[in-house]
Amino acid sequence: MNSIIITRAGTHSTIQDFGRFQYQHLGVSPSGAMDQRIITELQKIIPNHQHQFLEFAYVGPSIKVKEGSVKICVGGNCNMSIQKNNNSQLECQPYKSINLFEGDELIIHNTIDSVYGYIAFEHGLGLEPCLNSYSTDTKAGIGSINRPLNDEDIFHISKDVSSWDLISIPKPDLEKVTNFKVYPGPQLQYFSDNTLQSFISGVFTITNQSDRMGIRLKGESLISSKSHDILSEGILPGSIQVPSDGQPIVLMRDIPCTGGYPKIAILNEVDISRISQLPPETKITFDLQTIY
Amino acid sequence: MYFKGINSYGDRGLVLDFGNETSKSISQEVNETFLNISNLNLQSLNIIPSFNKIVVIFENSKIRDQNKDKISMKMKDTNSQTNKKVTKTWEIPACYNEDFALDIKIIQKLHQITKEEVINLHSSVRYYTYYIGFMPGFPYLGDVPSQLITPRLATPRVKIPARSIGIAKNHTCIYPKVSPGGWNIIGQIPFDIFDLQSSYPSLFLPGDEVKFYSVSLSEFEKIRKYNFSLNELIKEYSS
Repeated sequence: MNSIIITRAGTHSTIQDFGRFQYQHLGVSPSGAMDQRIITELQKIIPNHQHQFLEFAYVGPSIKVKEGSVKICVGGNCNMSIQKNNNSQLECQPYKSINLFEGDELIIHNTIDSVYGYIAFEHGLGLEPCLNSYSTDTKAGIGSINRPLNDEDIFHISKDVSSWDLISIPKPDLEKVTNFKVYPGPQLQYFSDNTLQSFISGVFTITNQSDRMGIRLKGESLISSKSHDILSEGILPGSIQVPSDGQPIVLMRDIPCTGGYPKIAILNEVDISRISQLPPETKITFDLQTIY
Repeated sequence: MYFKGINSYGDRGLVLDFGNETSKSISQEVNETFLNISNLNLQSLNIIPSFNKIVVIFENSKIRDQNKDKISMKMKDTNSQTNKKVTKTWEIPACYNEDFALDIKIIQKLHQITKEEVINLHSSVRYYTYYIGFMPGFPYLGDVPSQLITPRLATPRVKIPARSIGIAKNHTCIYPKVSPGGWNIIGQIPFDIFDLQSSYPSLFLPGDEVKFYSVSLSEFEKIRKYNFSLNELIKEYSS
């Protein structure tokens, strides 16, 4: 038996996979990793990840091997080091597999010029799926672990490491995008041409009122010519909704299942991952695709 | 037929449009269509019905476009609408005791009726489950009798107890778990309606009929102690 203990939980550390589907008509959000590009890359290094990825934001977790040994890989842009059992310190890099032995502690300090990072564990973390997914929705209390990780959480990994070979991939080119091509939203006609012009030509700032549910933007007020209150309807991540204060919100992975605000536009799937990595105060712009 | 057509929603979604009105007959068509589309076994990630829309989400635009024709064909093929009776009719015990009926006085005052009249009116109607949303397992039921129609609380409550029954506008609901919310709370039911241990976790489904009956606090506590599973609740309280 191998086991690890969370010695420092970090901020917003949760278990995620590619999402929980087929339950949104019962009020269950899809959730899933905010930046799905990174867990897609980590699959190449740790193919047997059992869909149990650890997601963290800003301040990463520290993980110590309590018993046995584990093979892991970190993804994202982050500072980290390994405190060996014999008190020596090792440098380590994302996208390179890491073998950790009893007493070793991986310390992820923080993400650099980005928000989210991930850890893949060979053979997973010994968790059971919840509604066919390992993703966590902390607000709804749904998940293999239905809360953020805490200090002292322990995970048991029954299978031993398959091979000590070190595997790495070139650091993926996850370029920072701040101009987003968006598609018209279902309520585009709720906004006048002038307002749409402000949406396209305006600069919006990501605020710190942003989380796994949505990214709140600050910019020129986008007031609807019709109404900011629509009958609730199904919504999907990436939708840009505009409440009555005119400040848009980009809905993210822990989306409310139905929403009653008009949606001016919607991002494509990969741009949801891209925008999730932009820290507060980042300035962004939108381009509206008219033909699709 | 209220169905108006199918529109795109971004690069990977579709919206089936049933107009801008709401009524039980529109919702019946929406929920019947939801079942028909679910039975097509599309490569969809989620199919989400609401009052007058169905949103269907796919992994990418290619899969969306491949599946769009299947939905269009199904919508034209009116002969095959054979999904008749799969929904349930529920008789749900409700305790309107003052410990639970946190906002019943607001409704009494607004409509100048007694507490007993609120209870009798609320439990007199067979409600239709418009859809499930807002939070896991939360049923939008309606319509409440006109003497109970009440706006949402001016200031939403930070913590509504789990299993609370609420009224807002012409709808009534049950909160599956503790939540913030703005509905007027008038009672509580004695069991949980959402169970993550079950592969089909929500007690109510869109299209179900729900009628409440008033129980005393002691009956409420008795039922509460049984700790029914969802399957036991289906046997006990639905037909």
